Amino acid sequence: MKLMLKYSFSILFTLVSLVNYAQDSSVSEKANSKPKDTLKKTQRYGLRVGADISKLARSIYDKDYKGLELVADYRLTKKMYLAGELGNENKTTDDDRVNFTTKGTYFKVGFDSNFYENWLDMENMVHLGLRYGVSSFSQELNSYKIYDTSGYFPPVPDVAAGTKYDGLTAQWAEVVAGMKAKLFNNVYAGFSVRLNYLVSEKKPDNFDNLYIPGFNRTYDGKFGVGWNYTITYFIPIYKSTK
Amino acid sequence: MKKILFGLFAVLFALSFWNCEKDDICEEGTPTTPRLIIEFYDNASPTNKKNVTDLKVTADGMTTSLDFNAVNKIELPLKTDLDLVNYSLVLDSKNANTSLQNPDQITINYTRKNAYISRACGYKTVYELNPNPNGMVLTTDANNWVKEINIQKFTIENENETHVKIFF
Repeated sequence: MKLMLKYSFSILFTLVSLVNYAQDSSVSEKANSKPKDTLKKTQRYGLRVGADISKLARSIYDKDYKGLELVADYRLTKKMYLAGELGNENKTTDDDRVNFTTKGTYFKVGFDSNFYENWLDMENMVHLGLRYGVSSFSQELNSYKIYDTSGYFPPVPDVAAGTKYDGLTAQWAEVVAGMKAKLFNNVYAGFSVRLNYLVSEKKPDNFDNLYIPGFNRTYDGKFGVGWNYTITYFIPIYKSTK
Repeated sequence: MKKILFGLFAVLFALSFWNCEKDDICEEGTPTTPRLIIEFYDNASPTNKKNVTDLKVTADGMTTSLDFNAVNKIELPLKTDLDLVNYSLVLDSKNANTSLQNPDQITINYTRKNAYISRACGYKTVYELNPNPNGMVLTTDANNWVKEINIQKFTIENENETHVKIFF
């Protein structure tokens, strides 16, 4: 009985797929027999450049932060864009137990893939992409607290260290998800969130990279997060029907 | 398409939570600034540990004391901002007959180094006791109850080992 069932199922399965096959071919034949649309949609190709305005804004209201990130992408195919970011940050982090200043420059390069089906001449993007980032920076340990659980002696003031660690580097990979919308003419607003994975880093002696320009705050593990909010200008270079 | 995007965002979101490790709280059990571990031994039979009775330990300039009773192992904090600390160790400090309370003075000399632990814990101080005979000095008085001090470990990095043996 069981065997029977198995067989009948297989047969049914084969039949269904055959039916599907038949339908598919008939549909495609019909499509092919239709007269072709002679009006071809053209796509604009070019370079889009801009800046992360969230970093610019933060530089104004946060006295412990100065940062600039320039962004650019270049359209390679209908869906694929070569994309990159170049930035510089100077950030003083005041944690409970450590206070330090991170200064440095970073560069990220990779691609974005547009998943948004634009109607007519719309040029919006919902994209997913990857980046590889490198950063060269310095850390300056301004002050720190000593963790002493004995609690017998009165607490000592923070230790003013002023130790500077130069020549630090880090490399990481990012998964980027975001969107870009055309505001007017060739101006776009964009937003992206990023999940970062630290590949390698050069740590300071007797301290740690608690913040890496471009990568942002580090955690115990190797993951980090980031985002940007961009305004970009599109420079059209050529048009193509592809 | 929408499903893929939704899935990816969900994964990103989940990962960001999974990534939220407890690195804002200095976890209990993290080795931080170690205290000096002293073990007491019987001077008459130096291989045997001996319990102290009402040992009252007070650092110079402090009004509060650290009290130990019926133990053979005590932990004394060292200073994180000075290279020496003076302790007065009063044995039998609760004896009604005050003349039987026996204070002894010890001076501990050391060098310090601050070592990075983590974002949440900051730094800890690790110590290196000065070489003999300056590491731990007993001030001689008419009636020392401490007979001998023997430094076992000059480097004080954790509280898992005995740094000093005191025979009495």
